[in-house]
Amino acid sequence: MTTQNLAGNSPPSSVRKRRTSKHGRRQWLDAYILVAPALVMFFVFIIYPLLSTIYLSLYDYGLTDARLRFVGLGNFVELGSDPVFWRSLANNLTILAVSVIVQVGLGLILAALIDRGARWGRSIFRTLNFAPVVMSAVAVGILWQLIYDPTVGLANRFVALFGIAPPSQGWLGDPKLAIFSILVVACWQYTGYVMVIVLAGMQSVSQELYEAAALDGAGEVRKFISVTLPSIRNVIIAVVLITMIGAVKVFDLVYILTRGGPANASQVMSTYIYYNAFTVNRAGYASSISVVLLMIALVLGVLQLRLSSRPREDA
Amino acid sequence: MKVRPLQFIAYALLTVYSILVALPLVWMVLSSTKNTRELFTAPFALPADPQWSNFAKAWQSGISQYLLNSLIVTSVSVVLIVLFSALAAYALARLNFPGRVPIFLLLIAGFAIPVHTVLVPLYRSLNFLGLLNTHAGLIAPYVAFGIPFSVLLLYAFFLEFPSEIEDAARIDGCHTLQMVFQVVMPLSMPALVSVTIFQTVFLWNEFSLALIVIRDDALRTIPLGLTKFQGQWSTNWTLMLASLSMATLPVLLLFIVLQKQFIRSLVGFSK
Repeated sequence: MTTQNLAGNSPPSSVRKRRTSKHGRRQWLDAYILVAPALVMFFVFIIYPLLSTIYLSLYDYGLTDARLRFVGLGNFVELGSDPVFWRSLANNLTILAVSVIVQVGLGLILAALIDRGARWGRSIFRTLNFAPVVMSAVAVGILWQLIYDPTVGLANRFVALFGIAPPSQGWLGDPKLAIFSILVVACWQYTGYVMVIVLAGMQSVSQELYEAAALDGAGEVRKFISVTLPSIRNVIIAVVLITMIGAVKVFDLVYILTRGGPANASQVMSTYIYYNAFTVNRAGYASSISVVLLMIALVLGVLQLRLSSRPREDA
Repeated sequence: MKVRPLQFIAYALLTVYSILVALPLVWMVLSSTKNTRELFTAPFALPADPQWSNFAKAWQSGISQYLLNSLIVTSVSVVLIVLFSALAAYALARLNFPGRVPIFLLLIAGFAIPVHTVLVPLYRSLNFLGLLNTHAGLIAPYVAFGIPFSVLLLYAFFLEFPSEIEDAARIDGCHTLQMVFQVVMPLSMPALVSVTIFQTVFLWNEFSLALIVIRDDALRTIPLGLTKFQGQWSTNWTLMLASLSMATLPVLLLFIVLQKQFIRSLVGFSK
């Protein structure tokens, strides 16, 4: 799936090249017919809205207003001095950092334990840890809202086992704690995803490397650091990027658990876009936040495509 | 040798973590058939007197309608995504035509665009087209957003499709479109199944677009329907948990039955 491939791998069959130009044009027509449905949907529902977002970010208007008031870069100027916007951005970054450290870190350790330590029961561990990944974030969010209930939730009972008093304002009601309570849920749901991807990578690491390391007197931790990690470098980079993109896009869990509250403390970019456009009817302002989110997502997306376009060399 | 104690530690850690992952799910299922008092006094005990009526009540309160809506929206969207993506990916991988490279790059770049960046203009377009608050208004953007990743996956598959088979079909006088439907598609089932599973899981769980497009209760998909209960049953936990169980168990059971395909498909990202 590479751009190099695309350029170097023109359609096969020497037969076709010798055909008349009439046939060549016939093939063009077929190709355009095949590409058309996907391309039409793509333009109408992605490219056109995307260009609209950029254009509309220069205007002040309500969601369904026909009349738009041009404000130039006014929305962006306002963003610069909007503490809630900066809070949202900071929350996205917090989620990004913690997700990468916890989900990828824990995912790696769990995968290594399964790969090197578990002789039997591998598939049980894998199935169980992957199960939350296929659930809807909405269901997961509601489930955890009950678990976090400030008076009778399981979370309170759980910390009580360790003699810790639950937060007085509640897990989701405490402005400082809310974002981390959301992060616990995100890590609960997605660490298994990282684990399974990384485990697949580890299983293709040659056993001879481990045997050679053992001859050199390396213990399991040493082998993990000097054999496993370098061998699956590309897989790790890929999961880090996937996790980062997920952190930038996060919406469902935050919306369900806190709606960005209390008092905007857990707002992230996507929920702040939704709030502005659909709650307080400031669609132009929402579009300017969208442009910022879009730029961040595109940078990460380009990185991801570039990396996924050359895994074959050393895979 | 040292292997034994190390293995013991590995199993101990894995078991502890797996229990932490499983507890919320076990609690959800166990609690769904309890009465409210039992829910709080014995959270992890088996229900003494199973309240199957919780399920019946949740079913009648809308879950049945939401499941049906999700089934309609997801299946129509997935069929269209797979069809459109397979046709496009085949042309991009196997045919030579002007604009091939730019079209390919543009399509897969769409993969990076978060749906939240286009919520406002999408809402305006759907409003203009009269598609707000309809299933069609949900299916159309679902199809569009499903295309980039599906094209990417299928393109990689079609690149390696043996050209001898195509040539043989051509010699038999097969027209390109005929060949795609009668020869290429049937031989590409593993890739098509992978794309189908990925998109099905993703759309079955999709929430953001459903939230802005659908307003009528009768049209809600499962995730959107659950948010109604979130307000309505905030004090009736057993009903809430019964609804959550009914909403998630179909996907979880399907996952357990088809785990290999699920994992291959959902992990396909990194490969």
